[in-house]
Amino acid sequence: MKKYEAVIILNPNLSSKVDEFKKDFEKLLADNSFKIVKTEDVGRRQLAYSIANHNKGHYLLFNLEGDPSKLLEIETKIKYNESIIRHLFLVVKEHSGEDSGLFIEAKNKKPEPVEVEEKKVVEEVETKPAEENSEKKEAEESSKEGDDNE
Amino acid sequence: MSKYDLPKKFDHKDIDILKPFITETGKIIPARVTGVSASNQRKITKSIKIARFLALLPYTDMHQ
Repeated sequence: MKKYEAVIILNPNLSSKVDEFKKDFEKLLADNSFKIVKTEDVGRRQLAYSIANHNKGHYLLFNLEGDPSKLLEIETKIKYNESIIRHLFLVVKEHSGEDSGLFIEAKNKKPEPVEVEEKKVVEEVETKPAEENSEKKEAEESSKEGDDNE
Repeated sequence: MSKYDLPKKFDHKDIDILKPFITETGKIIPARVTGVSASNQRKITKSIKIARFLALLPYTDMHQ
């Protein structure tokens, strides 16, 4: 038995299916007799550089316990999973047990981006007709001005 | 005494602690400049390299 720290970066387009992926991944771990000590869902994050043409990634952190020989099987399966754009398993002596810096940062930020995204959708819907009206008005005004000038 | 707040254990996920040790272009700053102990510099270097692989820190400022 060894203790592991795993970081998995998911395709950001599949962010809504994270729960599904988590279940699948937990099942894969359980099949290989891995024990999950702790899970942290950091959420979508800006990548420092683009990986496979993605600028954002959905970060998942795991604290695991299990056999090194079984880890190979897990890694081969992860390799061919296209929703994972990057993964890393690190051997650690002890699990820290505390929340990681990433997770704390995400927690503090989390309420904002969700609201912003919702607002954007609403704004787009609202602004479109308004813009059309204003454009029409402008067109009318400009035509009037043109008349005045003549 | 160094001017940096160094934890007992370095973690590749604590980017805020690692950021003072890279330049604007993403290079790791040598210990002779920062004045960090050799032992700490090794730990910092290792953490930065892992953080780079996980796209938490840039390798360079030339990324597109």
